[in-house]
Amino acid sequence: MKGNIYTLFYAAVLGSACALLLTAAASFTKPYKEANQKAEEALNILMALKVPLPEKASSAEVVKAREENVKVKQLGDLTTYIYEADGKTLAIALQFDGPGLWGPIKGFLALDPEITKIQGITFYEQEETPGLGGEIVKSSFRDKFVGLMIRDDTGKPGIIIKSGGDAAANKVDGISGATMTCDKVQQMLNEAIKSIVEEKQ
Amino acid sequence: MADKQIACATCQPKGLCGGKGLLTLKEGAWTNNPLSIQVLGICSALAVTNRLENSLVMGAALIFVCVGSNLLVSLLRKRTPHRIRMIAEVAIIATFVILFDQFLKAFYWDMSKQLGPYVGLIITNCIVMGRAEAFALQNPPILSIVDGIANGIGYAVILAIIGFFRELLGTGEILGRTIPVFSEWYTPNQLMILAPGAFVALGIVIGIFNAIKGPEPEENK
Repeated sequence: MKGNIYTLFYAAVLGSACALLLTAAASFTKPYKEANQKAEEALNILMALKVPLPEKASSAEVVKAREENVKVKQLGDLTTYIYEADGKTLAIALQFDGPGLWGPIKGFLALDPEITKIQGITFYEQEETPGLGGEIVKSSFRDKFVGLMIRDDTGKPGIIIKSGGDAAANKVDGISGATMTCDKVQQMLNEAIKSIVEEKQ
Repeated sequence: MADKQIACATCQPKGLCGGKGLLTLKEGAWTNNPLSIQVLGICSALAVTNRLENSLVMGAALIFVCVGSNLLVSLLRKRTPHRIRMIAEVAIIATFVILFDQFLKAFYWDMSKQLGPYVGLIITNCIVMGRAEAFALQNPPILSIVDGIANGIGYAVILAIIGFFRELLGTGEILGRTIPVFSEWYTPNQLMILAPGAFVALGIVIGIFNAIKGPEPEENK
């Protein structure tokens, strides 16, 4: 019995000591991590909007470029990021998110100012299967979306991500072996497209 | 097992543990190398060695975790109840791993993104747990630190060798920089960056290592 109490006591002390140490480390690194995440988000907005960036820009440069080029505009409930240069709107981006196959997927979708086609897309959070669904972050997949119409032939907003089938102005080829991921990405993109189309009307 | 020759519960530290320090160092880094002789921890060795920089950071992470956990496990070895020693070891290892992960996320964000889950997975790396269980539980703290350094270096050096050749052959660059003459002349072989290249490189490195060291005496029986 005495041994049991000592074991419990030992476990409690060791556990608390580890937890305390990690809490201290987490709160110490928090401002740095938040700055990194902010830069990461800014970089993704800039990449989706296709704002030109110097190669290997530092995080400070990225945040600066984001503040100089991109304006945040509230459109109803929707937060949009507008890329303006020389007083002209070049692109408009919005965040999208939704469940992926394994975990949440988050990213930015950039459209042209007239809200007719996609100009760029980035994913900044995903836990899809590496090599299959994880390929969505690769530029080879993301570049397929550039110039994609966001309405079908009948004018209904929505895009299709599917392997095979007839080609259409609002369809891109999916990734073989990642049908679930593609379906879920399609769903969350369509929700984003629907919300911005409704807000614009 | 070779471990038994140096594992000594009554060892009193004098000098570098009465001459056991050098033996421990050689054992961990060379004769009983965790990666090329014991073939432990190859999951991360295959996954992160596509670039030399990744390999170096991963090696540093393992040295840090191995030294830290060996030291703490050794310090607590007489107080730890035998029944919960493994969970205690895991708690200690996890603490060090998460500390390193937090450090990367705060000051080395790009690397943290590239290594992805593999830093966190050091918690389950057999090398760290194996050293804590097989060595630090029976040996005094200083000698355990030496063992941690030795095994960490043993892992890190092999990783660096694989990372060097995979990056060199796969991209024609080293540490992301082009090499004069070589980069212009060489056509990168992408296979070396991809997963199969890791198997090929690791196999060759283990083969060469064993050829130099000679076969284990036990294997000849």
